[in-house]
Amino acid sequence: MTGVVEVELDQFTRGDMQAFEALFREYQGEVYGWIIRIVHDSGVAEDLTIETFWRIYRARARFDPRRSFGAWARRIATNLALEHLNRRRPEKSLDDSLRMRFPATRTPDPAIGADVRAKVVAALDELPAKLRVTTTLALIEERPYAEIADALGISTNGVKSRVFRAVRLLRKSLEKRGVCP
Amino acid sequence: MNDRDEALRALLQRAAPGPADRELKRDLWPEMRRQLKRPSVHIPWGDWALAATLLLCLFLFPTTIPALLYLL
Repeated sequence: MTGVVEVELDQFTRGDMQAFEALFREYQGEVYGWIIRIVHDSGVAEDLTIETFWRIYRARARFDPRRSFGAWARRIATNLALEHLNRRRPEKSLDDSLRMRFPATRTPDPAIGADVRAKVVAALDELPAKLRVTTTLALIEERPYAEIADALGISTNGVKSRVFRAVRLLRKSLEKRGVCP
Repeated sequence: MNDRDEALRALLQRAAPGPADRELKRDLWPEMRRQLKRPSVHIPWGDWALAATLLLCLFLFPTTIPALLYLL
């Protein structure tokens, strides 16, 4: 835990606003960084970061100061990001999804054509939100399975199982679109 | 992961990479403080009890619904 001592966490659970502000300032970047990995939209990530801390603040009495605040925040943030993905699913078109996903992505691979990228994104978007988040974190971001399991509130085997199902679905979906990885 | 899975992973990373910029550009505390100051909608427990009682009455005595609608 960097900079935030257990005493501060204890004060936060008792409703001390200064302790909460210190925690917020310490962790806002980390929480934002986690959420943007999942939602790929800076505006949404900012809103969800605030919503995450709002939920944290309301649930402060239930937090055990001996546990990791970062892990707790990540779990709440992941749930909110999942809710967001589930909500936006029906009205988002592929074009919207592409625009949102590639406004400032890492350097695009020139060897991959725009049509293949579009097909990959479409296949990813077809996945149920829980599988999509797991795939994004495990396969694209290459986060450790234990960290993903903690954030999703499931076991490491649960993560492996989701990755397995997602890979199967993705492969089927891509093959239907004429892409064979 | 077998070779085919590795190939799929590589394709995903090349075709759908995550956002390049993951740094938070501004301090969100002022917005957080506004959110904390916003008064939350509080419904007194008495109102909840009254609503529950009304619903229970309507469920137990559905014949009173027309009379209630008439009074409203």
